[in-house]
Amino acid sequence: MKERWCKSGLPLIAGATLMVSSAFAQSVDTARIENGGQNDWLTYHGSYKSYHYSPLAQINANNIGNLNVAWTHIPGRSTRGLQSMPLAADGVLYYSGSYSRVFALNGATGEVIWSHFPELDEALISRQTHSPYNRGVALGEGKVFVGTMDGRVLGLDMKSGKVLWETRLIDSQKLTVGFTGAPLYAKGTVIIGAQGGEWPGRGPIFGLDATTGKKKWEFLTVAGTDEAMKTWGNDSWRTGGGGGWMPGTYDSETNTILWGTANPAPLYDWSGADYKTQGARPGDNLYTSSVIGLDVDTGRLKFHHQELPHDAWDFDSAVGEFVMLERDGQKFVVHPNKGGFVFVYDRNLAVKNVWRLVENINFVKDIDPKTGALIGRRDFSAGKVTEPPLCPFIGGGVSWNAGSYNPKTGLYYKIGQEWCMTLDVQKTTPVTAPQVQLNIGADFKMVPPPGGEIYGHLDARDPITGAKKWEVRYPEPPLGSVLSTAGNLVFVPDSRGILHAYDAETGAELWSHNNGTGHQGGIVSYSVNGKQYIAVAAGFGGMLADEYAPNFGGVYKSMPRDDGALVVFSLK
Amino acid sequence: MLRDVALQDMELDTLNLHLKKITALLSAVLGASLLYAAPVQAQSATPVPDNGTFDVEQLFAGTCGFCHSAGGRAAGKGPQLMNSPRADDFLHTRIKNGKSGAMPAFGGAFTDAQIDQIVKYIRALKPREG
Repeated sequence: MKERWCKSGLPLIAGATLMVSSAFAQSVDTARIENGGQNDWLTYHGSYKSYHYSPLAQINANNIGNLNVAWTHIPGRSTRGLQSMPLAADGVLYYSGSYSRVFALNGATGEVIWSHFPELDEALISRQTHSPYNRGVALGEGKVFVGTMDGRVLGLDMKSGKVLWETRLIDSQKLTVGFTGAPLYAKGTVIIGAQGGEWPGRGPIFGLDATTGKKKWEFLTVAGTDEAMKTWGNDSWRTGGGGGWMPGTYDSETNTILWGTANPAPLYDWSGADYKTQGARPGDNLYTSSVIGLDVDTGRLKFHHQELPHDAWDFDSAVGEFVMLERDGQKFVVHPNKGGFVFVYDRNLAVKNVWRLVENINFVKDIDPKTGALIGRRDFSAGKVTEPPLCPFIGGGVSWNAGSYNPKTGLYYKIGQEWCMTLDVQKTTPVTAPQVQLNIGADFKMVPPPGGEIYGHLDARDPITGAKKWEVRYPEPPLGSVLSTAGNLVFVPDSRGILHAYDAETGAELWSHNNGTGHQGGIVSYSVNGKQYIAVAAGFGGMLADEYAPNFGGVYKSMPRDDGALVVFSLK
Repeated sequence: MLRDVALQDMELDTLNLHLKKITALLSAVLGASLLYAAPVQAQSATPVPDNGTFDVEQLFAGTCGFCHSAGGRAAGKGPQLMNSPRADDFLHTRIKNGKSGAMPAFGGAFTDAQIDQIVKYIRALKPREG
C-alpha cells in the first residue's frame, strides 16, 4: 500500500481522504483479484477462489448485536427486484440495478460518485421475458464492465463512469435475449455469457479485450465443436438453447476460464428413454448443462464435464460458483448443479466426488460419485408425468445465487431448496421468427414434495465430502447469496426480507434485521478507513421470486416486484 | 419440422450447406453469424408456420406456460387465465403490449387475428382431467 502511494506521487497526508475517492483508485488487475484483498470485493465471487468470504473480523459473533444500518441507496426503477452483487475497491462500492444501471458510491457514506444509465430501446426490452434485472459488474484496468439487456457490453471509466468503449455482441432485437449476468475480468479479457437456456439459440460466451472492447473470441455452448455437433440429432443444434448467464471464474495456474452452461431447449423433451435417437434434440446435447474450461486468451475448449447429458429437466450448470480448494496436497473445484447435487472436480474438471445437498431429488435415482454418471434417469414421453411429481421444481435444488466457503471453519454454506412440480410434457416447435420465443415443452406447476412441505435450508457442510455439520430451515427457500466472514459469521438474506446472521461454527442465530422486502441478490463485506461494512441487495421479483406470492401468500402478496435498495450495515 | 422454421431465408439455407463441410472453428464462427443472418421480416408474423395453423395449446407449452402455470389453469409467475375476470379487449391489449417487468409484449410476434385466437383459447380453458 505504502509503495503504491509513493509511486502515485501523492502526499501521504491526503491518504485518509483519498481512500474513498475513486479519482485515485488503484488499478484492479488479475493479481489483485486473485489475492482477494482484505478490504475489497473485486469480482463477483469475491476472488477467483469463489469463496464469497471476507477475511474481515471487526464485525464478529461477539459484537454483532451492535450492527446497524449505516446507509442505504435507492437505485430506482428496480423492475424485477435488485439482483446485483456489489463490488468494492479502495473504498468505492460499484453495483448495478435493473435496466443495466451502474452506480459508484462512497463506500462509507453512500454518496453517489457517478452513475451511468445506458440508453435502451424500451420496445425491445418490453419483448423480453426475463428482463430487465442485472446481476453485477466487473472491475479491471481502471474500468467497470457491464452487460446490457440489449446485447452490448460497456467499458466505463472507473473514475467518472464515462463510456470508454461499447461493443454490441448479440442481435437482441431478434433473439430477445441480452446480458443480465455479471462479466468476469481476467488477464486483460472481459468474459460474459448471454442469457440462455430456454430460447432457441446457441448460447454464446464472449471474450473481449478489456482495453479496447474488441471481441477476442466467442464460444458457442451449443455445438461449439465438431465433437459437440454430433450430439444434436436432426439439426437440433440450430435451436439448441444453452448459454452461460452467470459468471464463472479464472484459474491462473492453467490459464483457464471455468464456466457453467445453461440447459438445452426445449427444457422438457418427449423422447422417452431413447433420448439418444428420439425426441426434440436427440443426443447428449453438448455443451449444455456442463462445466467447461476455456483458454482465457483464445476461448478454445480445453476440457469439460457434462453434468447432465441430455438435460430433460432444466437442471443446468449455469450456477457460477467454482470453489477452489486444496486438501491433502490435492486441488479441487466445487460446483453446485441446479438439480441439487454438488460436483467436486480436480482442476481439469475430472469428477472426484458428487454429493447431495437436497433431499427431494427424483429426476435421477443417483449420480455415481466416482464417475459423475447419471443412474436411473427419468426421461419423459409426451403427456402427463405420472406420480411422483418431478423433484426438484424448475426453480432447482439450488438457484443461481452463491453459497460461501469459510477457510477458517472449513465449511461450505449453501442454500438448498425442497420443492417439486407437476408436469405435462407437450411437443413444441421452436419459434425463431420474427423474434425468438421461449421453448419450454411442457405445462407445469409447483407442488410440495411427496409427503412433505416446501422449505429451504442453509447447510454447513464439508465441501469435498458433503458431510453436514448443521442446518437451518426456512419456510420458503431463500434466494439470495450467502456471505461468511472471519468474524465467525454467516449471513443469509432471506425471501421474506430478513437478513440473518448465524454463528459460523454452530448455526445459532445471533442477529437479524428486516430490510422490508425480499432478497434475491448479492451480499458482500468490505472496509473503508478501517471500518467494516456489510452490503446487501434487497428487492424481490423475477422468474423464481414471482412464484412466491401465488404459492406462499403471506408477506409475498404485497411485496413489491419493482423496488429495491442497497442496504449497508456497520457497527454503531 | 425444425428446418421449416429455421430456414426461412436463403441466407440460412446456404449457410447450412456450408456448415456441414467446415472445421470446428469455422462452424463456431458461422454459427454465430447465423444468429444475425435473418433480419426481422416485414411480413406478418407466423410463428408456427409448419402446417399453416396457429396452435395455441402448443404456444402455451412452449412460451406462455412458463409464467402461466399448468397451461394457464393456475397462478404462477403470471396470473391464472382460466376463468379470468378480464374482458377480451383487456386480454388482447395485455398480450399485444405486455406489462413492464411482468409480461412481455407479443405485438411484434403475433398478428391481431392470432392474438384473438389466443384470447379464444383462454376463454375455453377447462381443468385437466385426472
